[in-house]
Amino acid sequence: MTAEWTPMRWPAAWKSLSSFDLVRGTAVNCLILDKGGDLAAVAARAAEAGFEVIDPGSQPPGIKTVKGLWPGIRLSRSGSNDVTAGPTGEPWVDSNGWRVRLAQALNPSVNIWVDAMPQNARLSPEAYVIAIADSAAPGGRWIISLDDKLAAGLLDHEPQAVETWRRLNAAARFFGSRKGWADYVPEAVLGVVSDFATLQSEEVLNLVARSNQQFRIILKTAAGNSAFEGLRALIYPDVEPPSPATRERILVFVRQGGLLIAGPTWGDAPGSTAASADHPRYALRTLGKGTLAIAKENLNDPYLLANDAVMLMSHRYELLRLWNSGAVSTYYSAAPSQDRGLVQIIFFARSGASSAAVRIVGPFRKAHLLTIDRNDPSAVPFELQKGAIEVHLPAVSQYAAIELAI
Amino acid sequence: MHSCHTRREWLAKTAAAVSGGYRASASKLLAAKAPATSVAVARCKDYGPELLPTLGRMFDQIGGLGRLVKGKTVAIKINLTGAPTYRVGYLRLEDTHYTHPRVIAATVHLMSQAGARRIRLLESPWSTADPVEEYMLQANWEPRDILSAGANVEFENTNYLGKAKKYSRLVVPYGGLMFPAFDLNHSYEDCDVFVSIAKMKEHATAGVTLSMKNCFGITPATIYGTGAGIDEPSILPKGGRTTVHAGNRQPSKSAPPEIDSKSPRQDTYRVPRTIVDLVSARPIHLAIVDGIKTMTGGEGPWIREKLTGVNPGILVAGTNCVNTDAVAMGLMGFDPMADRGTPPFERCDSTLRLAEDVGLGTRDLKRIEVIGTPIKDAMFDFAAIRRERRAAAIARI
Repeated sequence: MTAEWTPMRWPAAWKSLSSFDLVRGTAVNCLILDKGGDLAAVAARAAEAGFEVIDPGSQPPGIKTVKGLWPGIRLSRSGSNDVTAGPTGEPWVDSNGWRVRLAQALNPSVNIWVDAMPQNARLSPEAYVIAIADSAAPGGRWIISLDDKLAAGLLDHEPQAVETWRRLNAAARFFGSRKGWADYVPEAVLGVVSDFATLQSEEVLNLVARSNQQFRIILKTAAGNSAFEGLRALIYPDVEPPSPATRERILVFVRQGGLLIAGPTWGDAPGSTAASADHPRYALRTLGKGTLAIAKENLNDPYLLANDAVMLMSHRYELLRLWNSGAVSTYYSAAPSQDRGLVQIIFFARSGASSAAVRIVGPFRKAHLLTIDRNDPSAVPFELQKGAIEVHLPAVSQYAAIELAI
Repeated sequence: MHSCHTRREWLAKTAAAVSGGYRASASKLLAAKAPATSVAVARCKDYGPELLPTLGRMFDQIGGLGRLVKGKTVAIKINLTGAPTYRVGYLRLEDTHYTHPRVIAATVHLMSQAGARRIRLLESPWSTADPVEEYMLQANWEPRDILSAGANVEFENTNYLGKAKKYSRLVVPYGGLMFPAFDLNHSYEDCDVFVSIAKMKEHATAGVTLSMKNCFGITPATIYGTGAGIDEPSILPKGGRTTVHAGNRQPSKSAPPEIDSKSPRQDTYRVPRTIVDLVSARPIHLAIVDGIKTMTGGEGPWIREKLTGVNPGILVAGTNCVNTDAVAMGLMGFDPMADRGTPPFERCDSTLRLAEDVGLGTRDLKRIEVIGTPIKDAMFDFAAIRRERRAAAIARI
């Protein structure tokens, strides 16, 4: 069982054996359906055709399924198409990328599937592309789950449904064929150190991801010195103080020039009051070459914490800087040899983005673009800057990947 | 040559013109006597090495910086309109709608050399209380380049209370066209010299945006913004200045309300008048317009017209904001004497006319001495581009 599987939940409306023909030859190679009962014949036909067939509710070995939200810009609960604003007035985006990354950190040797059911009666092709890319960009897989109208429309060979299905499959195939990316390691500037045992610490990840900071998930139990390598800052969101050993490793990180953001239960804050100590929510202390930012009150607002982290660390150190992108999720990773990089961007607007640009910090001097529509890497205009490359994207739909080389 | 009056001078000179039917005739009188000063114009093709000496020469032409800033605290309102993540195509923000950082740095450097005691760079960035430096970093600027251009240079975000304990109330000397006074970040009061560095642009609501329109952004969104508090200012700014644009609500009750809440609610009426009130309450001592690289079609990438980055290669500077903006309009190919109905004021009132009417300065180019490059030699014809753009838009319909 590997990430090669592209799983799909068998639609309830597909009762006949002939409906198996709808998935034959597509990107789907793993079906979740009831092997007994009415679908026994379908299950047998699928197994015969080389599909993996899994009973609903079972957890196959090598796979961890996480419950997710339907990804995208959240619409108003009123049922209208009004967009719900986030705390900044920016549209609120639901994304499962952070869930995939957290599940990967907690379960390092398994593949992550995201179970997120469609929320609307009929979804656009773009919504399905986002659902696929949102889980696949960080290395997971969305369990393809069709809305009722799409499932019915496919049975009737309705053109709109067929087109949605085609685009959904193109997206799934795109990620299925990018096996080399699995070896890439996330680039990060900010680490979140926690046991992730609380919703609060999980929500910090969600909101750090929403701020488009490139982050590293660091389990307390694995917070060795190398875990902090290359980072500028750490967030310690837990109320429970760290063990003496973890605490000392974090303080070493600070002494070497890092920033720690922690709550008041962190414990004693060594060092001296920082020259720029005037912050409404944090007591700032200088320790060695670094800074401790200890919150004056408990860190119970993950949104505020995530944004404070960006500002305390400064936009100066952000690895990706975007223009004209609209609401996005971003993933920046690099080959272990550091001679190749990969920036994946999911554009949540249905219209995608035009004239979007991204500045990528790193040693890279060559860039190529991949999109789901154009499977092969194509040249993309870029501008070299000091320590960075700024890539100018053509009009793109929901997903773009920039392959970088030195 | 320094002709923008202090608030106290204004109060003394215009107190009689505040109320009743006397106001109209007083306005005409004030307009006729509105100050006329020299305005420096220079060609400067880019933001390279020629920028600093060009600006220095221009400042000398209008009387020298030393006379204005020596030993003084200088506040400079720069123009960083719109979010820093929003560009016109792939063009850098400073090449279209933000005041270029090198113009800011060069001005800071020259002021520091001229003996300015302290230089404070002010802006009310879009919907945030974050430091201006962080806003600049998102625009891909290096704020240290500006901070290191002179001694005692600092930034302040004026979109909220900022570093002070209370807002400063600045009164409109003649009583106001829209507002009698404004509650502003302390930085606009705690300065001896106030400078507006604008970008040379058209503007969807006000026709043009030059040194006066730049000061629309001195109003804190905590009081005048979409998310302003009802009774008291909000802690953090949120959204744009719809209170002023649309008049759909009053500022926070802690601040002076509009003079006449039944006045027209059209932004094309309200914005020009509010600008004139603002630059009267907070007089501009030095107006600088960056027209080296800019854009046609509007003030920022959110405008739904054909937007084009252009390189007029022009700098304008003067000590009277109305005179300076009049010359800048002339350089853009527009007639600064134009009124509502005539480009670029097809659908709005002329801020320049309103400013002239209250006696801030003349817009009559015949009364303004242009030093340096004559207007006809430096003109970049925004007006012709506007005509062509709009004709093409009509043809498409």
